[in-house]
Amino acid sequence: MTRNRFSLFAATAMLAMALVGCNSDNKSASNASGGGTSNGSAPNFEPGFDTTKPDPNMIPLGLVASQNGELRPWGVDSVNGALLAVKEFNDAGGVNGKKVQLLIGDSASKAEQGKTAAEKLMSDGVIGLLGEVASGITAQMALAAKDKGIPVVAIGATRVDLTDISNRVFRVCYTDDFQGPVMAKFAYEELGLRNVALMTDKKQPYSTGLSNSFRNYFKKLGGTVVDEQFYESGQTQFNGQLTNLKAKNPDGVFLSGYFNEVGPIVRQASDAGINAKYMGGDGWDSSEILTSGGKAILGSYFCNHYNNEETRPEVKEFLDKWKAAFGGVPATTMGALAYDAAKLACESLKKAPAATADALNAAISETVDFPGVSGSITLKGMNGNPPKRALVVRLAESGQVFEKAYEVGDLKK
Amino acid sequence: MRYWLIRLGSIALAIGGCLLLDMLVTGQVPGVNKVDDFGQRLVVLAGLYVTLAVSLNLINGITGQFSIGHAAFYQVGAYTTGFLAVTYFDRSGLPGPVWVIGMMLISAVAASIAGLVVGLPSLRLRGDYLAIVTLGFGEIIRILVQNSDKIGGSYGMTVRPKFQYIWLVWLLAITCIAVCRNLLKTAHGLPFLAVREDEIASSAMGVNVTRVKVTAFVLGSAFAGAAGALLAHFEAFISPSMFTMDVSFIILTMVVLGGTGSITGSAIAAVLLFYLPEKLRDMAPVSGAGLVAGVIGVLAAVAGIKWLISNYHGSRLNRGIFVVCSIVAGVVIQIVFSMVLRNVPALAATQFEAAKLRMVIFAATLIILMLVRPQGVFAHHEFSWSWVQRLLGRRAPTKEVAA
Amino acid sequence: MDLANLVAALDFSTLPQQLVNGILLGAIYALIALGYTRVYGVLRLINFAHGEVFMLGAYVSLFVSYAMGFGPGSTRDSTWINLVIMLLSSMLVCGIVGVLIELFAYRPMRSQARIASLITAIGVSLLLQYGGALILPNSPPPSINERVNPIQGTLEMSLVGPDAGLLKQADEAKIAFTQAEDRYKAQSALDPKAEQASTKGLRDEKNAADRTYNNLQRRLDNSGVRLRVPWGQVIILGTTIVLMLMLTYLVLYTSVGRAMRAVSHDFDSASLMGVNVNRIVTFTFLIGSMLAGAGAMMNATFIGTPLTTFYGLQPGVKAFVAAVLGGIGNIPGAVLGGLLMGVAETTVVWLGYSSYRDAIAFIILIVVLLFRPGGLMGSNKVEKV
Repeated sequence: MTRNRFSLFAATAMLAMALVGCNSDNKSASNASGGGTSNGSAPNFEPGFDTTKPDPNMIPLGLVASQNGELRPWGVDSVNGALLAVKEFNDAGGVNGKKVQLLIGDSASKAEQGKTAAEKLMSDGVIGLLGEVASGITAQMALAAKDKGIPVVAIGATRVDLTDISNRVFRVCYTDDFQGPVMAKFAYEELGLRNVALMTDKKQPYSTGLSNSFRNYFKKLGGTVVDEQFYESGQTQFNGQLTNLKAKNPDGVFLSGYFNEVGPIVRQASDAGINAKYMGGDGWDSSEILTSGGKAILGSYFCNHYNNEETRPEVKEFLDKWKAAFGGVPATTMGALAYDAAKLACESLKKAPAATADALNAAISETVDFPGVSGSITLKGMNGNPPKRALVVRLAESGQVFEKAYEVGDLKK
Repeated sequence: MRYWLIRLGSIALAIGGCLLLDMLVTGQVPGVNKVDDFGQRLVVLAGLYVTLAVSLNLINGITGQFSIGHAAFYQVGAYTTGFLAVTYFDRSGLPGPVWVIGMMLISAVAASIAGLVVGLPSLRLRGDYLAIVTLGFGEIIRILVQNSDKIGGSYGMTVRPKFQYIWLVWLLAITCIAVCRNLLKTAHGLPFLAVREDEIASSAMGVNVTRVKVTAFVLGSAFAGAAGALLAHFEAFISPSMFTMDVSFIILTMVVLGGTGSITGSAIAAVLLFYLPEKLRDMAPVSGAGLVAGVIGVLAAVAGIKWLISNYHGSRLNRGIFVVCSIVAGVVIQIVFSMVLRNVPALAATQFEAAKLRMVIFAATLIILMLVRPQGVFAHHEFSWSWVQRLLGRRAPTKEVAA
Repeated sequence: MDLANLVAALDFSTLPQQLVNGILLGAIYALIALGYTRVYGVLRLINFAHGEVFMLGAYVSLFVSYAMGFGPGSTRDSTWINLVIMLLSSMLVCGIVGVLIELFAYRPMRSQARIASLITAIGVSLLLQYGGALILPNSPPPSINERVNPIQGTLEMSLVGPDAGLLKQADEAKIAFTQAEDRYKAQSALDPKAEQASTKGLRDEKNAADRTYNNLQRRLDNSGVRLRVPWGQVIILGTTIVLMLMLTYLVLYTSVGRAMRAVSHDFDSASLMGVNVNRIVTFTFLIGSMLAGAGAMMNATFIGTPLTTFYGLQPGVKAFVAAVLGGIGNIPGAVLGGLLMGVAETTVVWLGYSSYRDAIAFIILIVVLLFRPGGLMGSNKVEKV
């Protein structure tokens, strides 16, 4: 008995100490370097504000990003892009001299955690939320924000029905209803494919939604979807599904999942002897897909938001700023989209008559022709879905090669 | 007469307490500020986790059936309610609380049927085999839901209407605690404990082992199902990603950390373990030097305490002093190291954000607590007033000896 | 869900390939399950951190491949020696990590209730997942360059030859395509400005001929029954079998193995009989973790999944199921369980229910355990008091 109580005390003390131990040495620097430590980005970027504690003298905006878990590459780029935009806005004078503060919440790549993070940020008083990249997490955030009337600007969530959650959900990217048909049109007209098979990640809402958009439009064009196979993210071997696909003689395979699985699938597909063109959506966007896909993935096509090689001045300027702050180029397009989302929110704050959620919401929904890195953004009268261009890029050894751009009107013809 | 007075009194007290909590949290009591929405959400989720942990404790701790798939029952409850609410609520014309209580009952029944399905194999399996079956059952349920487009598939489903009854959540938690406590305090609970200690011996003594095991599974899963019903109406959106294996593991961890078999322990550990990662969100970034120093300090202190526990047999007072000394030594080591390491440029420059450290600290806390106190914080003990009295230095009434 | 329709929709020509796929998939599960089963056999502890040791092994292979000059974008040619170096270093590091985990996390818990060690195991697993994410590169998730593998290509076997009629048609289509291509080339050479009506018509014609030819070629390819196995997966299967035989030999015919069995049978008696229990347990963890390292290196190199610190989660759970299915503690049982699970998964895919692939493993497990509570090859001893 005595021993029990004694160890109980010890256990409690240990717990307290573990917490103290991690809090003791943080006065030296109280800013978060968004780049993190593990991907080697330059740590000399200082956003100029605390990203965890709200500062009463600043206008708080919130960002939810996957700083942990399997979607971390996008989370890191989201954080960096948004910090870059806010810092730039503050350096330019802010809203009549008042600076904007970006508070960051971690969704750990999980929908429920994303919701908790959003709730936490809202309780800290943010008047607008930015993020997420994954549609499933964004849906939870939007639901949490709905009751409080906080506007949400999604960074890379493309699932169609997200903006139906409330009229305060916006995004700076296109939707699956655009990128699915774009890829279908590209496959049918440019690549001349007629019999396409689908590989869908059943665990990811993004993937099931994109597969549906692609299938519907491809059928409308007159093509045939010969087969659809499912997998779950986390699996590593896909030979079973691929053997089934091969028996259906597809001349193209549309992989709507995220890059983690797409690389190995394409590699294994070529091992299985499938002779077809591979295509996908913006979930492919990562510089590492070339290593995981190996030789087999070269010459595949996917749909993206913008391209680092583009000659538009916005892109050049953005890349220069990025290089100065973090070194290198953003590993994914989410850096640019997060930059656009944060900048859009900041500029709207400037236009808004007061720093409140309602005013911010009104200002965002009045956005017309905002010059974003990823293209011009118009939200007025669009139910939160800006009409945006989509780029089809080809994977080559050097990286992503621009192939064809689709404007919004192109699908109507 | 007195018996009934106490019974009814405590029921009234529980309901009253829950309503008061609800009013406090939502700011209906004059003079008390409303808790913000994040806080409200935490209060509700903490209540749900208490229910889940205590109900798993019934299966795991009290009856000794090793179940690690509790999230499955939670999910069955949530989806039953979600589906019924979307389909029938508008037609039913029932007022909110009545509907939600009805849903809790129906979900409890649905989840207990699922519990029966899992409980039946448990008659033949034991230990780790049962564990893997319960884990597998959880995965099967998740995949089934994920493949049913009618209930939203992997995207999830929106549950309408949204009911946020904080009092109901905590009332459920209290009911769950009360049921388990009364089970243990009365003769009905003895067979459960007997099965945990020795299945064969208890069956030789005339305990119906089958009935005990199945009852435990059915009761435990019913409470989890009711919690799922409340979750569905509170969140108004449910998706399969909310009920993954991690959730089951967290609930199991709550039970073991609190002390397997202790209701008090499960309930308190549920609240603490739920709040720990959430509170860590507020933590400021830590430099590499601080982190390394912290790790070294904690390791030193753990090693010291661990050594003391196994090798020192002096008086209690001396031992307490030594423990304090080793903790102080750990802190000193930590401070010294952080001073030294701050001069190492590579360590001083790196910053670890709270978001990334959150789960690491959580995991480290788990390991350290288990190393230092493997029987769980409360071990087999329960909270009782006589314990409080003893703690305050008064003699416990003699009645306690019998217990 | 009409049974007749279901059977009619099945493609029996792919069945042999699917069975082979299943065995290859199962080989990886079996390799990881061997480690699980060994540790469980001796300590009666579900080592939840085994999947994370596997993850670390994959990272070690990655770093070694980088050190040998096979970073992303490298175009060097490799030899099998590089693979062996990666394999050995991965096994070595995993072995050390496994022993350290046992020493610091499990040994102090040995006298405690098993559920307490289980929670410690979960804690270690979480710590490696999230702590690893602080240090290891995972953004963007790196993967091993396929060039490090010198044994590219596939092993092909023809069971039933291709259809003769299709072969003829394909030849004809090829001629038609060449002719159409020539016509188009000639025309576009005459008229260098593309997009002219005349060239466009010819281009479409050429594309149509190309499509017909390619379609025929694909149908031809599928008309026979052929087995294709990437060489990398043959290596995985071979290694699994060799390691299983070595492990069986070790356990059954050496003095260390005898000691292991003794410890597994009765901890206290073994120590009374002069067996150094701690050393045997350390040795067991060393062997089990080295197996995980071997599996990780091969999986990461031949399959090519990008590495995150959650890399070991899914294989870990599957392998655990495989070990239990075969009868946990039993070496041939682990291999049998792994292979059975692999075959079951691909069979479900073959039946057209690929979205239930992850569920089938558990369904089989439950069914098997209902009839054989000790697993397929596990002993089902009557409990004595």
